[in-house]
Parts: sequence; structure tokens; C-alpha cells
Amino acid sequence: MHNINVSILLVLLLFTIVACENDPTQDSLNIQEMSWEDISDQAKGSTVNFMMWQGDADINDYINNYVAPTLKEKYNIRLNIIGGQGPEIVQLVMGEKQAGVKKGQADIVWINGETFFQLRKIEGLWGPFVQKLPNAQYIDFDNSFINTDFQQPVNNMEAPWGINQFAIIYDSAQISNPPRNLQELENFIKANPGFFTISNDFSGMTLLKSFLAELSGSPTGLDGPFDEEKYQKLSTRLWDYINRNKRYFWKEGTTFPKEHSKMNQMFASGELKISFGFSEGGVESKVRQGLYPKSTRAYAWDNGTIRNANYLGITYNSSNKAAAMEVINFLISPEAQLKKSDPTGMDSNPVLSIDKLDPEWKSKFEASPKRIYGAQLSDLANKAIQEPAPEYMIRLYEDFRKKVIEK
Amino acid sequence: MKFNWKPYILTLIVLLILFPFVYMVLLSLASEWRFPDLLPSYFGLRNWLKIIGSETGLLHSFLISVSISLSVATVSTLSGFFISRSVSYHPKKRVLTLLTYFPYILAPVVFAACLSYFFLRMGLFGNATGVIVAQFMITFPYALIFFSSFWNQRTKNLEDLVATLGGNQLQTFFKMLFPIAKGMLLICFFQTFLISWFEYGLTSIIGVGKVQTLTIKVFLFIKEANFYYGALSCCLLIFPPVVLLYLNKRYVFNKLV
Amino acid sequence: MRNKFSHIGLVFFVLIGVIPFAAAFIYALLYSLGIVGVLNSGFTLQHWQTVLASSEVFKSFGYSALVAAISVVISVSFALWLALKFRKEFDQKILSFIIYLPLAIPGVVAAFFTFQLFSRAGFFSRLAYQLGWINEVSQFPDLVNDALATGIIITFITIVMPFFVLLFLNVYKNERVGNLSELAYSLGASSKQVLWRVSLPVILRKTWTLIALYFIFLLGAYEIPLLLGQESPQMLSVLIIREIKQFDLSKISEGYAIAIIYTIVVSVAVSALFSRKNKTLNEI
Repeated sequence: MHNINVSILLVLLLFTIVACENDPTQDSLNIQEMSWEDISDQAKGSTVNFMMWQGDADINDYINNYVAPTLKEKYNIRLNIIGGQGPEIVQLVMGEKQAGVKKGQADIVWINGETFFQLRKIEGLWGPFVQKLPNAQYIDFDNSFINTDFQQPVNNMEAPWGINQFAIIYDSAQISNPPRNLQELENFIKANPGFFTISNDFSGMTLLKSFLAELSGSPTGLDGPFDEEKYQKLSTRLWDYINRNKRYFWKEGTTFPKEHSKMNQMFASGELKISFGFSEGGVESKVRQGLYPKSTRAYAWDNGTIRNANYLGITYNSSNKAAAMEVINFLISPEAQLKKSDPTGMDSNPVLSIDKLDPEWKSKFEASPKRIYGAQLSDLANKAIQEPAPEYMIRLYEDFRKKVIEK
Repeated sequence: MKFNWKPYILTLIVLLILFPFVYMVLLSLASEWRFPDLLPSYFGLRNWLKIIGSETGLLHSFLISVSISLSVATVSTLSGFFISRSVSYHPKKRVLTLLTYFPYILAPVVFAACLSYFFLRMGLFGNATGVIVAQFMITFPYALIFFSSFWNQRTKNLEDLVATLGGNQLQTFFKMLFPIAKGMLLICFFQTFLISWFEYGLTSIIGVGKVQTLTIKVFLFIKEANFYYGALSCCLLIFPPVVLLYLNKRYVFNKLV
Repeated sequence: MRNKFSHIGLVFFVLIGVIPFAAAFIYALLYSLGIVGVLNSGFTLQHWQTVLASSEVFKSFGYSALVAAISVVISVSFALWLALKFRKEFDQKILSFIIYLPLAIPGVVAAFFTFQLFSRAGFFSRLAYQLGWINEVSQFPDLVNDALATGIIITFITIVMPFFVLLFLNVYKNERVGNLSELAYSLGASSKQVLWRVSLPVILRKTWTLIALYFIFLLGAYEIPLLLGQESPQMLSVLIIREIKQFDLSKISEGYAIAIIYTIVVSVAVSALFSRKNKTLNEI
């Protein structure tokens, strides 16, 4: 009994010790007023922690074997990669906020709309900072796919890093006329049962957003702030559509893959005939790796598929904001973006506006090798739709699990 | 004349046990091995050479894993040995032992998720020290439970004898207790090393993906669908314990049994 | 002198063995009640109501318990058979080393290995294709990420069974089951009687707490179901971590509520196991 008392006492003690809040660092104010030269000077010789999604070998290769060594060489900055995306980033920052951690684990985070939304909600981002980056001048901030992230104005709180469009993919050697709307998809899977599924992750939810937009009757049907009534109406029809047809899905719709990378493998091995993905379907690299057949094609839904940009943000408690800015400035430099767009490498569309570049870089971009197998971003341009408000995504996640997977 | 099937079953067992080891090595040597090919289209040392060029930081991960596991095993074996003495000789031994079981049986990943706030608070998040402390919290109960049988009446009598003969506390430990517990200390070291070496969930939460031990790497490669590097990291993960097992089996189990 | 030393030991025991567990428990409890957490705004029972009202937790409990129980029963039965049948053979020099080898394989590797062998694009599927048994990947039976948890159970067995074989061999030796059996034979017992009345009862009585403990471990297993499980129902640890790490920040508290339920259940189970007799873990 005595020991139990002692332990309760010690636990309470521990709680009181850790309960004293610390204030986050105040040095961030100075950086806002510093010149870029001073920021650059301060950045030299430090380490920057970059939290990013590490699920793709080409992206990891670009970061580990191009970005990190170049940063070391040019700016003497050591780049340290931390694995993590979306919820993991939010949870980390939220936990640090709760615990009053002054020096955050991550300095730079790779995010898009729904994470941006959540980080803003908990005031987890530092900024505005993008206007201070010299290379920001090459970005077209009048482009609504860049200045608006999931219906939220970006306001220099995050720097765009890449832009891409979601696409559906199929093997043209096997299918001559792939489905382009929900009705055709229904007919297709009834004729080819077992070859379609939706991954229970970011990619899958993005497909569902396109479906939702189609059900709304127009490409702009989901624009504007989140509308509960509209969501209820459209999502009821969507779940009804999926539940009605899921017996024609992969594994009779009894289960859904957790990660999109699994869908890629299944498409490669012929388990799926229709797949989808960001980066215009990601066809180029998969064909080059020999995973997908050369006859693989990508296309957009008739009502359109989501086009979005992805961004880099700086955490509110980054202990190294100057160096984080230097790194982000490098990542949006013409040099780094050109390398990033290499079809044999990361194969990611440059976020820079080519017209704004110096003639030298302009010609380099124009002369750079193009994709051979996959669609270009411009091919899908007239079928591009905006990301709807982040709440749609969060609700789709929850309801897809509750109303489809667990049914 | 009865048919003797035993050798066949035995051969099958041996094959089943060796199969994973062989398959992992083969897979780590392969590349571009796609369905429905039974044999890979590339077979050679390419993956291993690339890793030695440390492109993916696997060697670094190996070293981190070794240092974390060695620290965890050393600290938990020694502290477990000493502290289990206090617990085992305590009149409330049973209640105390029961308390030890709670953290021991809880899934480490859930334990870590509930503890992460405190680690964040104490600056132990996302660094190797934090991972060592967290792993220590699950290996320590193991060591405690492991040694509790050592501190029996016989040991106590021996201790009393040393005391009667004029030995002090230090002498009791170094001249008497350590020598007779040597076998158990080695086994405990081995077991706690393995618990730490194999740990994934807890490390991923407390290490936030920054402390990239080998198990974290294996998961990373699986997520990337890079099965060849995955197999390679699996090799790095399973062969050190095999060596330890060989040594341990040879020098500890034989003496003990 | 001696007392002081003993006290320091106890303080450390409480500090490392008791406090972290208590702290984790209290934190999770407070979080589930909305008292701590950035987005929580004070005491509420709402998260608990949501958790208890949805069938997911109970489904997950049942599913985990079933998977763990099946794996343990199969492992123990096979291990008993192997240990009793091949006792002498396992004493041979090389074999006695080889049977220890599976201990070097962690859950992550075992799960990865199962996936490589049994998935639809895996080794056995290729073999079946080359042998002409199947023409397409989708004809290969669903063994990984499947509704029946085949992959999880196979992997659990490969992880747990070798351990039980070693355990039973050891108990056989230490409890002199061989001598007891000889005695029974000399008293006129048949080999069936010796097996059911002597060997099995002695071994199982000595090891049942450990078997129960392994059941609890498998109940909370994480990386194996994470890789080989399906999206619903999920095993407990996977479910808890998914809830705690989810997109919808307002629902994190529900994850902690499930963690509390899980912790209480296994704690009660362990108390029941160990409070009566003073059993300890003396394996191998």
C-alpha cells in the first residue's frame, strides 16, 4: 500500500513538473525584418530537419542524392529527412505545442491543403515568409491552383513546391474505351468484376472528391466553403453508388487497400485494370521502371479530376528558420525544379512559371526532355478542378470507413 | 517392418527453418523480379554494393541499431539484476511483481503513444536517447521478472553466509553473486538485446522517424515497395542475432542445463 | 547499510517500473475525458459514449482474441507434438542449434516474408502459375490482407511455435517427464495413457501461464497485423494507433479511450493470472 501511495505522489509530481508551459521562441520576429543576405549568412553551417512523405523511391532518390548533397556543397547546410505526412505532421506539431517544446523536431514540412488547414487551426505554421524568398519571383501567384490551397488563400504561409493533376490510368492494349464518368465506370466493373478498387488513403479520397464533384453536376460544384447540407446530400448518393457496386470491386469490396503504393503493384501485376494517382497518374516512371506496360495511358474524368499544388511550410517552433528558408528557396530555384522535373527521375511538374525565368533558364526548361509515355500536365488542363474545402476530405475519410469499409 | 517417417519430417523442419534465411539472402541479391517470373532477371551483388556506398543510410541504421540495443541490453540487465533483488526480498514481493507485469504485457506501441507527451516534454522525442529510455522501460520489467527467480532462499542463505564470514556488500556482489548468476546475466542480456533489436512500434513513435533503426528501414522499404532493399535490411536484422544465438547457445545454455 | 541499498532499489523500481505505466495511463485517461489535448475543451464523456456506442471496439477485441487464440492453439499443439516426438533428435548437435534459429526472426521480417511468399504476386503464386495451376494473379487464393486473417495467423505461428518447442523441450528435461513416463510404463500404463495422463498434464501445468501470456502478447501485436491485416476489422494495436494518429483531430480522444479499455482488460487478465500463485517467467 505504501508503495502505491509513493507512486501516486511521484506521478502527480511528474505532472506538475511537466505542466509548466514554456513560451515558444521569439527570435522569429527578427527574421521577418532581416535582409536575405543576413538570413543566408545565419543559415550557413546548420542542420535542417525536413519532414516529408517517403513512400516513393524516385522522390527519396531526388532528395537523398541530389538535394542533400547540393545543399551541403552550396550552403553548408545539412539536410536531415524525417519520415511523415499529413496526420503525423499535425500530431507532432500539436504534441509539441501541448508540451511547450521550444525546438521543434521538424523545421520544414511538406504538406497540402488538409494539413495546411489543420496546422493553421492549431497555429502550427510560422510565417508569412514566402515573399522573402528571392526565387518566389518566378512563381505565378495569380494562378488559382497555386494561390489557393483547398479553397484557402495561401497568404505566403507556405511555398508551392510542385503542381500536378490527378488522373485515371489503364492499359490501352487491354481496354479501348475506358470509363469517363460514374455511369460508364459502373458498366465497366460489371463487365470486368474484380479489377477496380479505391485505396483508403489520400489518393483514394481524392478520387472520391472527383466523384462527389460529378454528382454535384458541375466541375465547380464543390467550390466555396464547406457546405454540410451539400455534403450530406452528395455523399449519401456516393456511398449508395459504391455500396451498390462494390461487389464488382477487387475482393468483392470486402476490403480495400490501405496504401496507394499497393494499388500500383496490383495494377502492375494485372490484379487491377483501372488505377489512378497524382502526378498525372505517375505513368512515366512506372513504365520506365518496367512495372507498367508501355501501353499504359492516363486521362481525366469527364467532369474533371483534382489539380492541386503541394507546399513547403515552416513550423512555428522551428529552431532554425533562416536555414529552413534557405532550403525552401533552393527547392524552388530553377536549378532544383529543373532537376525535379526530369522524367527519368522524380518526374514532377515545375511550379515555376517558365515565362518569368531568365532566358538562360527558360531555354533550359524548354530543351529539357519530355515524358515519352505519360500524359503532360497541359494535356489534362481543360479537365482540371479545384480542391474542395478540407472538411470534405476529412469527412470522406471518416465516412468511407464507416459507411463502406465497415459495412 | 514399420515405415520410418521421422527423418523425412525432420528434413522438412530443417528446410522450413532455413528457408526464410536463404530466401531473404536471395531476395536481397535480386532485382527486377516480377510476376510471374519464378527467378529474378537480375541476380548479383548490385544491391549490396549500393548499400556499402551508403546511399540509403543503411549502414548508419545498422550502427544506430547496434548502439541502441547494446545500451538498452546493458542497462536493463544490470539494473534488472540489482533492483530485482530489492523487489524479491521485499515482504510485498507479490504485489510488486504484479506491478511489473503491467508495462510488460502492454503493447509497446500503445504504451509509447500514451507516453509520448512526457517524452516530448523532457526533450527525449526524436533522438536516440529517447528511444533508449523508452525501450528500457519495456526491457526493464522483463529483466526484473527474469531475475526474480534467482533471488530465492538459497541465494539469500549464501548472502547471509558471506555476511557472517565478514564479507561486505561489494564483496557479496562481485565475489559471490555475479559468478553464480553469470549464465542468467548473459541470457538476460541476449533477450533484452533482442527485444530492443526487434522493436518497431515504440521506436517509430518515440523516434518520430528520425531515429532510423533497421526495423524502421525495413518498413520504409516495404512502403516504397522496394522489396530488394527491404530484404537486404532484413538480412542485416536477422544475422547478428544468429551469431549471438550461436555464441549464446554454445557458452550459456550448455553450462546452464 | 543493507536496508539503505534495498530502499534505493525500490525507489528505482517505482521510478522505472511503475511511474511510466501510471503516467501513461493517467495521460490517456485525461485525454479520453477531454481534459488534456490542444483541441479539447474540458471534461466530457462524449468520446467514451461514441466509443462504447460504436461496435468497432468490440469487433476488434473479438477479432484480435480469435486470431490470437487460433494462433496459440495451433502453435502449442504442433509444438507439443514436435517436442514429444523429436525430443531425442533435437538433442543432436546441429539440430539443437538449428531449432534456436527462428528466434532470430523478428515480427517485421516474418510479416515481410509471409507477404513475399503468400501474396497474389508472391512466390507461391508464381510457382502455381509456372506449374499451370492458375492463369491469372486473381485466381490465387487470398492469403494476405484477407478477411480470414490467414496471413496474420501463419506469421504468428511461425513466430510463436519455435519458442514453444524450446520451452516444452526444456520443461520435459527439467521436470523429468521422461523418468515419470518410464515409471508409468513400468506400472503398466499404455503409451496413450502416458501421453494423456502424464506427459501432457505435467508439461501444460508447468507452462500454461506462459501460454496465456503469449496469448496476451499476440492480442496486442502491432507490426504483423499492420502489414498483413485488412482495413476492417483491425487488430487492437493497429486500431488504437490509427485512431490516435488520424486526420480528424477532434476524434483523437476516442483512440485514447480504446487504449484505456485495452489496458484495463489486459491488466485485469494478468492480475488474474498471477495474483493467486507466485508464478514467474522462467522460460529457457
